[in-house]
Amino acid sequence: MNKIIACIDDSHMATSVCDTAIWASKRLAKPIMFLHTLEKTPQHGADDLTGTIGLGARSSLLEKMAILDEEQGKEAMQMGNELLATAVARANAAGIKTIEQKQRHGDFVEALAALEAEARLMVVGRSGQGHQGDFKAVGAHIERLIRQVNTAVVIAPESFTEPRNFMLAYDGRQVADEVLQRIIDGGLLKGATCHLVTIENNERNQKEKFQQAKTRLAEEGFEVIASYLQGDIYASLMEYYHEHNIALVIMGAFAHSKVRQFFLGSNTMRMIENCQTPLIVLK
Amino acid sequence: MIFLSKKADWLGNIRGDVLAGIVVALALVPEAIAFSIIAGVDPKVGLYASFCIATIIAIVGGRPGMISAATGAMALLMVTLVKEHGLEYLLAATLLTGVLQIIAGYLKLGSLMRFVSRSVVTGFVNALAILIFLAQLPELTNVTWHVYAMTAAGLGIIYLFPYLPVLGKNIPSPLVCIVLLTILSQVIGLEIRTVGDMGELPDTLPIFLWPDVPLNMTTLWIILPYSIGLAIVGLLESMMTATIVDDLTDTKSDRNRECKGQGIANIGAGLLGGMAGCAMIGQSIINIKSGGRGRLSTITAGIFLLILVVFLGEWLKQIPMAALVAVMIMVSIGTFSWSSIRDMKSHPLSSSIVMVATVIVVVGTHNLAMGVFVGVLLSALFFANKISRFMVVKQTMTAEQMRTYKVTGQIFFASADKFVDAFDFQEVVDKVSIDLSHAHFWDISAVGALDKVVIKFRREGAVVELVGMNDATATVIDKFAVHNDPAAVEKMMTGH
Repeated sequence: MNKIIACIDDSHMATSVCDTAIWASKRLAKPIMFLHTLEKTPQHGADDLTGTIGLGARSSLLEKMAILDEEQGKEAMQMGNELLATAVARANAAGIKTIEQKQRHGDFVEALAALEAEARLMVVGRSGQGHQGDFKAVGAHIERLIRQVNTAVVIAPESFTEPRNFMLAYDGRQVADEVLQRIIDGGLLKGATCHLVTIENNERNQKEKFQQAKTRLAEEGFEVIASYLQGDIYASLMEYYHEHNIALVIMGAFAHSKVRQFFLGSNTMRMIENCQTPLIVLK
Repeated sequence: MIFLSKKADWLGNIRGDVLAGIVVALALVPEAIAFSIIAGVDPKVGLYASFCIATIIAIVGGRPGMISAATGAMALLMVTLVKEHGLEYLLAATLLTGVLQIIAGYLKLGSLMRFVSRSVVTGFVNALAILIFLAQLPELTNVTWHVYAMTAAGLGIIYLFPYLPVLGKNIPSPLVCIVLLTILSQVIGLEIRTVGDMGELPDTLPIFLWPDVPLNMTTLWIILPYSIGLAIVGLLESMMTATIVDDLTDTKSDRNRECKGQGIANIGAGLLGGMAGCAMIGQSIINIKSGGRGRLSTITAGIFLLILVVFLGEWLKQIPMAALVAVMIMVSIGTFSWSSIRDMKSHPLSSSIVMVATVIVVVGTHNLAMGVFVGVLLSALFFANKISRFMVVKQTMTAEQMRTYKVTGQIFFASADKFVDAFDFQEVVDKVSIDLSHAHFWDISAVGALDKVVIKFRREGAVVELVGMNDATATVIDKFAVHNDPAAVEKMMTGH
């Protein structure tokens, strides 16, 4: 429970993920672990459309595919090592003392889930490899990651600047109160201006809770700008976000059940897709 | 959740999956027809089954890239049911098979596969290859020389066409074989059997049909034995194929999801007029070889198969059976594990016996489940026998009139007698010490043997001391042993 785990891949996000991790590491005074996962891509080159299988078909195919994998694997490992070395060098230059690096085979969501016991915070890029330049493309794995892990996840934007203010989307649910508590306990955002935003919904006593949240944050020394708005959750939040030049967004994970999300989509994913600043998802 | 899949499983390899799916569909058509003939039903039953199973398993299966459809292993189990009760009972049995497989999935029976040793798997695969080959023999007996010539020509095309430059690598040679032989037999007007002679082919899309059987206990007792057999064989072949695909692609599959998926696919097949099926070893290898990796390859195979069949039905009827036989012989050759014959010399005799016994039982009974059962039993016996040899009793004279026995190794039912025989009860000594610090007692046979030894020494007038029982041994002995309990000793000594 004490490391900032940052996922580095070869997309254009690597530098920003690295900078976000450095910022978090400094604010929280925790060590960084850079993680690079080697995800298997389906082998090509073994394509043989003859549709025939002859004597020893299975063993010769296995042999052929093992050789292909071996070649690709070695190359990918080498590249991963270089990426990690760059990240470590950058963190060193920024003055981080304890830096670990780790390479794992397989899916990065699984790798992160396995490291969860050691994690204080996970940093991932908004879009992974294969989404280069596609502005709205959210890494395919982010949704799975957020569902699977119980650690706070920071989604890094294309370029990172240290946030001076942040927006907390507070809906009055219990999850939102827990998020509030975590912000107060956490220390990551001490000293930044807090934009407490509540969009009216049919939650009971929402207005009172909103007032309480505002008071609590103020008592803890945050400079609070509180707004109680009406309208569509996603649209209102985005409007506020742009209007006030918000530098970081904090949200609780998925408010809807899985089935509802399947049909309606989720506000969390839409926010992740459309924010060009760091976004923290708390569980 | 059984319907949720990673996006990459569907869209991670679009080009490879679509091409491989088409290649697989082309080979599935002759197989589905051939297996329908084995089961004694119209070719359309197998073709509908292959479409349904491939399409459904693509969504709900636990092993992306694996091909499931109507199979020979399953067809062989249906023969009697179809002969005695007809197609409707087969469809009902297919539904029940699906239900049983879903239950197996929820009970996590997929993990039982760990008891199936490598030799049994090899035996299963070889037996399957032999059965597929044997199933072609009716087409090759009592026929004119034209059929032999056609089959030989078909095999020649299948294996030699890929050597042609450019064309050979890009057009599936089984397709070339079927097309050329069909044209040939039409042009010279040969009077040989064609697919059209074997029964009805599909002319429409499959339609939803509840099997027309009375819903009562009599029906249940008719179909249940068949369904159990089908469920077991289907899961066995699917699990084995999943292992093969896992090895080839170096990825993992979700076995319990696959069990449930096979069940759902069979229910789907039963409701749309298809017979039960499972994963196919040969086709899955062809799929991987053609570049198929994801779920898209399986669904492409299913849908393309249906398109082929429904729109080319008239053409399918003209295909000479000899062409199908050639394709099936290829599948048989490709499925057979030739390395298992080559490695027989270097492998331990016991594993070769297990493999051969599995093959013999399957070929004899036409039931793959029986073969696997015998194979698993034999491997367990061989294993027990091997472990029982890891038991040594050393004796030393430590003091005047005191004998120490030092026991090392595993004591259980297979080594219990050997353990008792290792003690010399004729020797006259005052004290016997049995050192068990390096022994392990596994079951009540072992505990019984120790009791027997202790009591025998006591009856000869020696004082027995047990030393150094390690913790594990102590727990087993505490649970079962009687020699500290006088009443129990008496009971045992009197024999009742």
